[in-house]
Amino acid sequence: MNKTTEKKQTSSFMNNMVKRPEFSILVILVVMITLTALLQKNFFSIKSIVRNINAFTPLILLTMGQAVVIIAGGIDLSAGPALSLLTCVLTFIMKEGSPVTGVYALVITFAAAVLLGIINGIGIGYLRIPPVIATFATSFMWLGTALFIRPTPGGETVNWFNAFYSFRSLENVPQVIRTIGDIIPPALVLVLLGCFFWYILSRTRTGRYIYAVGSSLESAYESGIDTALVQTSAYIINSVFIFLTALFFVGQNQSGDARLGDPLTLRAIAAAVVGGIALSGGKGSVFFAIVGALILSFVNKIIFFADIPYAFQTLVGGVIVIGAIASSRFYTIYNQKVRKKESSLI
Amino acid sequence: MVVLEAKGIKKHFGGVVALADANLICRKGKITGLLGANGSGKSTMSKIISGVYSADGGDIRFKGEQVKYRNPNEAQKNGIAMVFQNLSLVPDLTVWQNIVLGAEEKKRLFLNNEASRIISRNIIDKLLPGLDINRMIYELNPGEMQIVEIAKAVSAKPELLILDEPTAALEQAEVKSLFTYMRSLVEQGVSIIFTSHRLWEVMEICDDIVVFRNGTNAGHIDFETEEKDPEKLIRYITGGIKEIKIEKDRNTLSGNPVLQVHHLSYGGILKDISFELRKGEILGIGGLAGQGQHELMLLLAGNYPKAVCCAELNGKPINLTKPVNAIRNNILLVPGDRQLEGLFLNHPVFTNLIFPKMGLKKQPFITPRKMYKEECERTIARLSIKTDGLDIPVRTLSGGNQQKIVVGKWLPFDVNVLLLADPAKGVDIGAKQDLYAYIIEQVKKERMSVILYASDNQELIEYCDRVLIMYEGRIVSTIEENDINEDRIISASMGIGRTEGERHE
Repeated sequence: MNKTTEKKQTSSFMNNMVKRPEFSILVILVVMITLTALLQKNFFSIKSIVRNINAFTPLILLTMGQAVVIIAGGIDLSAGPALSLLTCVLTFIMKEGSPVTGVYALVITFAAAVLLGIINGIGIGYLRIPPVIATFATSFMWLGTALFIRPTPGGETVNWFNAFYSFRSLENVPQVIRTIGDIIPPALVLVLLGCFFWYILSRTRTGRYIYAVGSSLESAYESGIDTALVQTSAYIINSVFIFLTALFFVGQNQSGDARLGDPLTLRAIAAAVVGGIALSGGKGSVFFAIVGALILSFVNKIIFFADIPYAFQTLVGGVIVIGAIASSRFYTIYNQKVRKKESSLI
Repeated sequence: MVVLEAKGIKKHFGGVVALADANLICRKGKITGLLGANGSGKSTMSKIISGVYSADGGDIRFKGEQVKYRNPNEAQKNGIAMVFQNLSLVPDLTVWQNIVLGAEEKKRLFLNNEASRIISRNIIDKLLPGLDINRMIYELNPGEMQIVEIAKAVSAKPELLILDEPTAALEQAEVKSLFTYMRSLVEQGVSIIFTSHRLWEVMEICDDIVVFRNGTNAGHIDFETEEKDPEKLIRYITGGIKEIKIEKDRNTLSGNPVLQVHHLSYGGILKDISFELRKGEILGIGGLAGQGQHELMLLLAGNYPKAVCCAELNGKPINLTKPVNAIRNNILLVPGDRQLEGLFLNHPVFTNLIFPKMGLKKQPFITPRKMYKEECERTIARLSIKTDGLDIPVRTLSGGNQQKIVVGKWLPFDVNVLLLADPAKGVDIGAKQDLYAYIIEQVKKERMSVILYASDNQELIEYCDRVLIMYEGRIVSTIEENDINEDRIISASMGIGRTEGERHE
């Protein structure tokens, strides 16, 4: 008797897992990883894993930030230019050979990042400008400022800033730490930091209200929620993720670049959508958005390793992304139909 | 003990007076019923008390103090909670998350989900024991959503709870458990204002009843001292019988059926509707607002491809799955929301008037503007549309003239059936008379058939040869021409005169 109920429970747990829309996304990720592993030699070696993490990190962080904003019912078209601007600000403040300027740079740039979020939030939450238009406009403000600070890529950094990318070129660091840095790359720490940040937030009122506001602005307002404040918070949270991305890029490139982030904005939005974040707001999980970013990154790798002629690479990439989104959408609709049938039978 | 006293409340929206001089008294631990026809001002009154609207005049005393709320939040903090008809639930959160939304339990900075769940479960267990509080709102049916909405209002621990037609979406069993719960709240000293269109519910649950008509108090019955008399309530609601009858041409009704509809259903909104429409007849559709009348009109005009529908036009079966099919069969709709469904507001009068023709077969490839212009001029003259030429945008016209254009665009057609969905809504009296005069002339001369849905019973009484009353998506009664009067329509609309068994369906 006991055994049968136990069996029932596990099977119903499996059933529930399979029926969740996230399940199809996970399946797609597994397929992508398998394909990449088949195409790339040494895929599972530590070296290549670290290299992959470094390559994927910027998109993962930006996607998480974008996911928060989209869940809150908005969108951020200014994320890429904001990233560029922050790299420019970082390298503008730091002076090579004066390690303490690195600390100033961190503090001031973080404040700048929060300010960017507040400006977007005021436009959308308080002035009621549609998010697409508001952030499209601010994207030019960020880009313009970045170009003003740094018309051409360049700038200087302090030596320890390298630690955001790798411990290899650091001076006065014991060998042990360098080895750890080879196995656990700083990029992974940045991603985990982002995850922890969102995990904490998701357990506060702000986290709950971000979903409520994105799902139905009117209902949230009628429930006594300060919707404008919540929308602004979402953009500030997004800014924090952009800030982490900027740290990674400056650590890697040792320079600022006013056009660095441009191609990443729409990729992050696409990744969030692949990861099950509904553009209509209120639906999806920030952690599953990471899966979306991974899928998009693996698609790039597969195309690279599959020897597809260069002219076709973009086209193939686009088709795969559309396929991923469509299959998860069909899967959800199919499950809803099944559920409807079941409930009508009851 | 009096908890709430509203005296001499006045409210108008634009030129429309919603409340002229209305009074309401609620006693502690009692359920006060608020009754009245559509537009009598009872919803406005509830919304003024709960802070959604502010009154233009009069004063409200709550717990002995004069109050004036600027928004629902202030009222809620003071102990007045209202359950709205349009729900204020967030679809992508769970039941318990919605119940505590805006007032979550906290453990320092973090949410205390366990405490919130317990609060929610305690309320839901009394209201609807079978409901899983971990389900998402978008998965629930309208009745369950209504229950969650009530639970959310109750979780704020109000002293005065306003329920605005809470039972409209509920099944019989759910109504019963809601009533049980209301009684337990009342025993704890909560006062309740309850509005419903179903007379028997009001008589079952309420301690006293206030009736509104045209924005003023029409009557008051205290069930502790007076007996429960539905006839008296209906008299209060309708204000006695007004017989205004125009001469109707009776011999037109011998004609053959033009449109026959058999067992038509759509979703849960329309259920098993059958009727026939004779040539030269004006068939009225009546009943309370939102019983499926609008959907019936839209369906007959081919707007619901998934509807189960079997219809015959002049004895031949027709397919009503696309609007263009209805139009080609000359079943033409004047929709209820003319600005949204009937007009291209920013386009000129000319475009609006000729647009329906574009859907017809055998259209000349190049629009013959000159010919059409002349046709439009004739339409404008016949309906006496007041417009400054053909080229001004429709949005600049008055409501009445806009409605005339919606009717006028079908004028060049050889109308079989004209579907009118509340054509006089928001139309001034002059334009309304022009419209009906034109329609009646067409009915008499061209033997056109009309289905008229009107939210104003007076229009049904004046113009219709037969009236079908709808209730919860069904046709519950047919009133033949000699019996059409306000009393019959209202009592049929409210589900009175049906047997106990029917109610419990």
